[in-house]
Amino acid sequence: MDFLAEGFRRAWGLLVAGDSEVYGIALLTLKVAVVATAISCAAGLPLGYFLATRRFWGRRAALTMVNTALAFPTVVVGLLLYGLLSRQGPLGSLGWLYTWQAIVVGDVLLALPIAAALSAAAIQGVDPRIRRTAETLGAGAWRTAWTVAREARFALAAVITAAFGQVVAEIGAAMIVGGNIRGSTRTLTTAVALYTAQGDFGLALALGLVLLLLALVVNIALQMLQGRGHA
Amino acid sequence: MLELRGVRHRYEGRVVVDLEQFSVPRTAAVAVVGHNGAGKSTLLRLLALLEAPTEGQVFWNGTAVPRRPAASLRRRVTLVEQRPVLFRGTVRENLEYGLRVREIAQAAANGIIADVVERLGLQPLLSRRRHELSDGEVQRVAVARALALRTDVLLLDEPASSADRAAAGALYRALAAERAARPFAVCVASHQLEDAYRWADDIRALADGRLSPVTPENLFRVELPVGDGVKSVRVGSIDIVVMTDRAGPAVVAVPPTDIFVSREPLPSSARNVFKGRVTGMAIEHRGAGVHVRADMGGVELVAAVTAEAARDLALTPGGPVVFSFKATAVQVF
Repeated sequence: MDFLAEGFRRAWGLLVAGDSEVYGIALLTLKVAVVATAISCAAGLPLGYFLATRRFWGRRAALTMVNTALAFPTVVVGLLLYGLLSRQGPLGSLGWLYTWQAIVVGDVLLALPIAAALSAAAIQGVDPRIRRTAETLGAGAWRTAWTVAREARFALAAVITAAFGQVVAEIGAAMIVGGNIRGSTRTLTTAVALYTAQGDFGLALALGLVLLLLALVVNIALQMLQGRGHA
Repeated sequence: MLELRGVRHRYEGRVVVDLEQFSVPRTAAVAVVGHNGAGKSTLLRLLALLEAPTEGQVFWNGTAVPRRPAASLRRRVTLVEQRPVLFRGTVRENLEYGLRVREIAQAAANGIIADVVERLGLQPLLSRRRHELSDGEVQRVAVARALALRTDVLLLDEPASSADRAAAGALYRALAAERAARPFAVCVASHQLEDAYRWADDIRALADGRLSPVTPENLFRVELPVGDGVKSVRVGSIDIVVMTDRAGPAVVAVPPTDIFVSREPLPSSARNVFKGRVTGMAIEHRGAGVHVRADMGGVELVAAVTAEAARDLALTPGGPVVFSFKATAVQVF
């Protein structure tokens, strides 16, 4: 137990001292997480709405695919993306391998199904009369979608939180396509894994605490955005 | 103005609306009456352009409506559902919704809202939210929200189902006042026939998704026994003699105009003779006829007589009455 207590002491010291490496890694993680969450939700939420509200041939298969994608192993996504982004790969010319952009792409691939599947479930949970009422009062497609989304705002906020949670805690793809390069693509999760393996338990613990703090702050911010919860 | 032609609408393979032709003419007051499950709500959703028929076509002023009509066309007709919902926000915000959609200036919107609020007595509710309202109040707000849009066609699905008698009266009066000020077509699905007879120009009965030649008083679901010709079917506590070769589940209807009304049983060829008490009398919209409702031992039957005949028979609520009709008058669907 001593090493655990020592780890906490070291973590606290690093955080209070404003260690540049710890905060640099935290900032990069935050940047990657915010960008990836924004992209996956910007695409996933409308996709979820579409899947929940439109009747088209193959809809059930599309929902099954999206739900299956929820269980994609992160290392497999990383591996596939590595193949695409490597110098010989079809997207090699982008030069994104071992950059933060590559981590964003990996995270988006993992968070998009979460955003789409969970938002489809959230929208399906809204009373169908809400959509019909918006339409019969003359709302166009966008305003109808906005009206329905407002009714599902708590569930949709939970979708964004879940997408952010996936992105911020992801390690497999970040490790493979990011490369865990110090000062460049080292995120909180890859750093924790590395420093634990190196025996620097205090630094790993400090980064783990920052990760938890980050998740807490983002969740509080999202809850505040949901408003006061009037019906 | 709004017309369905050759419409067959299915849910999961089951035909719920089957209408060769159904139109709502400009400025008409149409009442659609029928049992629960007769297809009234689906019919209104088709007329509201919220659903495209599985087969057939909807026409607006003679022009075919596309399967996904433009919002500008949808804005000319609006529907208040049987159990309407309000959006998140206050009653006022709900009343403003459709006006904002139509980009009506705030000053004009305020005037329109003040108008419908006064007509339907909603002033005390304006700042309330949906969870602070009763079902009847939600229904009134929903009707006001639809009236505020001043559409060419207003569709109301059982608009007074959650209202008490006084509130229902106020609602129909508000509707009449609005129509007097600005003619528009209104189509109401209702099971409250007295109301329908009082205000509608045109009453249409729906049974199993089809237009029925009789209004749905005296419309009963029965189990027809096997056999040819004359058979007796149980309806509540009475037996009605019908003439049909059909067997199994069916709907039987006795047209109110085919019922002879008397105070005492009369010698006649009628196989169906029921003694009961008058429970209500309603004068038709046009004033020529009277609908006499009578309780025949737990089953309500309605007969149509002329105002003159009603006077001669001295029919009064609570008084004795005899209804007679022939087995061949009973229609089987």
